[in-house]
Amino acid sequence: MFVLAFLARRLVQGLVIVFLVSLLIFTLLRVVPGDPVRLMAGGMAPEALIEQIATSMGLRDPILVQFGRYMGNVVQGDLGQSFVRPANGAATGGSSFNDATRGERAKVADLIFETLPMTLQLAAVTLVIALVFSTIIGVAGGLAPGRWPDKVAFYVSSIFISLPNFWLGIVLALLFSVHLGWLPAIGYNGFAYTILPAIVLAVELSPVLIRTLVSSVSSQMGQSYVSVGKVRGLGHARIVANHALRNASVPLLNLLGVQFSSLLGGVIIVEFIFDYPGLGLLTINAVLQRDFPLIQGIAIVTSAIFVVINIVVDLVATTIDPRLEY
Amino acid sequence: MDSNLTRRHFMQGAATAAVAAGFAQINPDFLISSARAQSGKPMSFLSAENITGNWDPTAHTTLSQKNIEGFVMGFLTRTPMRLDDPSEVVYELATKIELLTSTRLQISLRDGIKFHDGKPFKAEDVKATFEYGAQPDRPAQWYPGPTETLTIETPDDLTVIVDTSKGGYPAHLFIFLAAFLPIMSAKDIAAGPGGPLSQRLNGTGPFKFVAQRGNDTMLEAFDGYFKGKPGIPGINFSFVADSTTRMLSLLNGQASIVERLEPEQVTSIEGNPAIAINKVVSVENKYLWFRCSKPPFNDPRLRLAAAHAIDRSLILEVLGSAGHKSENFVSPVKFGYVDLENYPAYDPDKCQALLAEAGFPNGKGLPQLEYITSVGFYPKTKEYGEIITAMLTEQGFPVTLTVLEPAAWNERLYHRPGGGPGHMVDCGWSTGSPEPDLVLRTHFHSTSHRITGLEDAEIDASLDKERSAPTLEERGKILKTETMPLIASKMPALSLFTSVMIHAMKKELEGLYIYPDGSMDASRKMA
Repeated sequence: MFVLAFLARRLVQGLVIVFLVSLLIFTLLRVVPGDPVRLMAGGMAPEALIEQIATSMGLRDPILVQFGRYMGNVVQGDLGQSFVRPANGAATGGSSFNDATRGERAKVADLIFETLPMTLQLAAVTLVIALVFSTIIGVAGGLAPGRWPDKVAFYVSSIFISLPNFWLGIVLALLFSVHLGWLPAIGYNGFAYTILPAIVLAVELSPVLIRTLVSSVSSQMGQSYVSVGKVRGLGHARIVANHALRNASVPLLNLLGVQFSSLLGGVIIVEFIFDYPGLGLLTINAVLQRDFPLIQGIAIVTSAIFVVINIVVDLVATTIDPRLEY
Repeated sequence: MDSNLTRRHFMQGAATAAVAAGFAQINPDFLISSARAQSGKPMSFLSAENITGNWDPTAHTTLSQKNIEGFVMGFLTRTPMRLDDPSEVVYELATKIELLTSTRLQISLRDGIKFHDGKPFKAEDVKATFEYGAQPDRPAQWYPGPTETLTIETPDDLTVIVDTSKGGYPAHLFIFLAAFLPIMSAKDIAAGPGGPLSQRLNGTGPFKFVAQRGNDTMLEAFDGYFKGKPGIPGINFSFVADSTTRMLSLLNGQASIVERLEPEQVTSIEGNPAIAINKVVSVENKYLWFRCSKPPFNDPRLRLAAAHAIDRSLILEVLGSAGHKSENFVSPVKFGYVDLENYPAYDPDKCQALLAEAGFPNGKGLPQLEYITSVGFYPKTKEYGEIITAMLTEQGFPVTLTVLEPAAWNERLYHRPGGGPGHMVDCGWSTGSPEPDLVLRTHFHSTSHRITGLEDAEIDASLDKERSAPTLEERGKILKTETMPLIASKMPALSLFTSVMIHAMKKELEGLYIYPDGSMDASRKMA
């Protein structure tokens, strides 16, 4: 019963969030410079044609009217058609809009759900790399506060957080791909293409995880149950693995929910640098081409993912620690 | 709640799920697909520009798609457009082109050629291509006149006669255009709008169109190519927007050839023994276009004043190897090019004299002027845009530089009723033919407007006169001595420089002929 009430409450909240994000994005897109109709119709199209197209597409109606019409379609599962991309998914420049030979435009949902798995794969590999690395560094630092492992954790996280991802991406590609030839770097033609961009994102993600782990493990090791465990004759390894780490993992879990969602934003630059065909690359091209329906669709899908992940994280955290209430 | 779910189980499950998700798309070869394991594969071309999504060659003017057409489509002739011989013609689908009279051109066609779909190439294909491409509703308006001004006769399967007498313009205009118009199949054209013409490319060129997968265009060597199957087994033509990404891809061996290198990138890889660099003076000039249909640049004296305020040698210094000196409105590889004697040089005194003559001494009284440029497509636009702004400001022009990403810039580029956005715009213009009218008439004839919005009866008359010259020799003379100097005296746009097209490629591709429009001849066997 608790679960159902929890889910119902959080889903309603989530819908409100998705709705507000959609409204915000929808409005902003229509006030920034750059008329998408001119991009669609071609720069040389006469003004009369521009207005004719804009009117026929409803782009000259008040924003709220346009938004209402758009959301009416969205609730029926229709995210619309891309303004510029053909059905084969290529990123395109505009051909003439009134050209009768123009190819069919791609459905926004198709474009998003073709690229989303690539980004989820990248995010998953990133999380694995970041978790493994952060756990090693963070737990060691937390178990030895003030000593060299703690300092290593501090310096590593300080350095990592200072590295711009676009710079690191280029340097790693030069090192591992160009000079050593170990890994491919550009585009996607198999799993190996995910590794370098995932490392870049993991470096971006790790500092927060390391600092959280250092702090929570160190805090747990100062708790009385650790001393009691020693008195009861439990070994150090068992106290750490079975008790301290379990308790220290709760803040990490909450953090992961937020970080996973922010990863979806962080992939934009990294996917662009590595030409990785995921949601990030799709987003940046959509923005550069003023492809309104695609940008809106991406915003809705990513905000929905954000909401769902946070609901799942909260649900699991509540399950692990019943004292938590959301 | 399921009380069996513990933190440990959750963490174990989450880790397993993450790994499973990560490996969901594993290529079984990934452990051996190292960065350099690319040999024996098709040539991978990374393009700086995307395509249009409509394969109809008459539906666009997009350079990257023209490059793909260069691989797939056949042309009556090709024009290498070398600096030392801009008018050189190499026959391809045609074996001979001759003027019968000033308005009748006879084209003799090569026998035994087939389209990629198996259809034999005949005169009917040339006729259908010309008649379709010249229709006024086709977005790429390359033809000298609409379809109704043309009469195309096909006395036999290997002869085409183009008669332009109904249009009143000379037939020799088709000589240079022949190297620029991809020949389509009459069968495809007959299928009408939205038919196979827009769905895929079907030509007689060395490579056959296979598929479009996302941003990758896949081509494979055509067995039936009339010069023999190319040595390169195929071409993957991919759009990669970022120049650093393109360069990294070449360096790690994933890409075979990349285009539009920045000058700094050239410097950094010049000593690399695995990389060859190709520089070619291109058909593209870069211009500072004036909005000629609205104040203050509707006054030619102010346009000339601005041109005299700009020291173009400084711009060339910024561009380094990416720029070539220009003293005309067309590239030196175009027919009729000459260094114009009256092309405005940097001369502050003349600038001030013209400003005063126009009623704006030292620029006083001029409105605030907007200069629009782009960043991310052409090399160094922002850098030299700032220099031009500074030089104009120094002479009294109150200029604000607006730097936009390509989509927003493109949206503001062209003329609109009332003049269009801003007062000056930076843009290049590139057409893969020696034909100068693809620049001059397109931009400076009153019927076009295009970017400048210029309407000038005197220039119109001169452009009509050079176009109507009965022979190429006479036309060249009129262009060099009348039309081009006249345009320079009114300066609707200042050609800043001619772009140098820079490609970098794997050493084994060295020798690949790259045309000044960026398309290339990959049909030859590799060394």
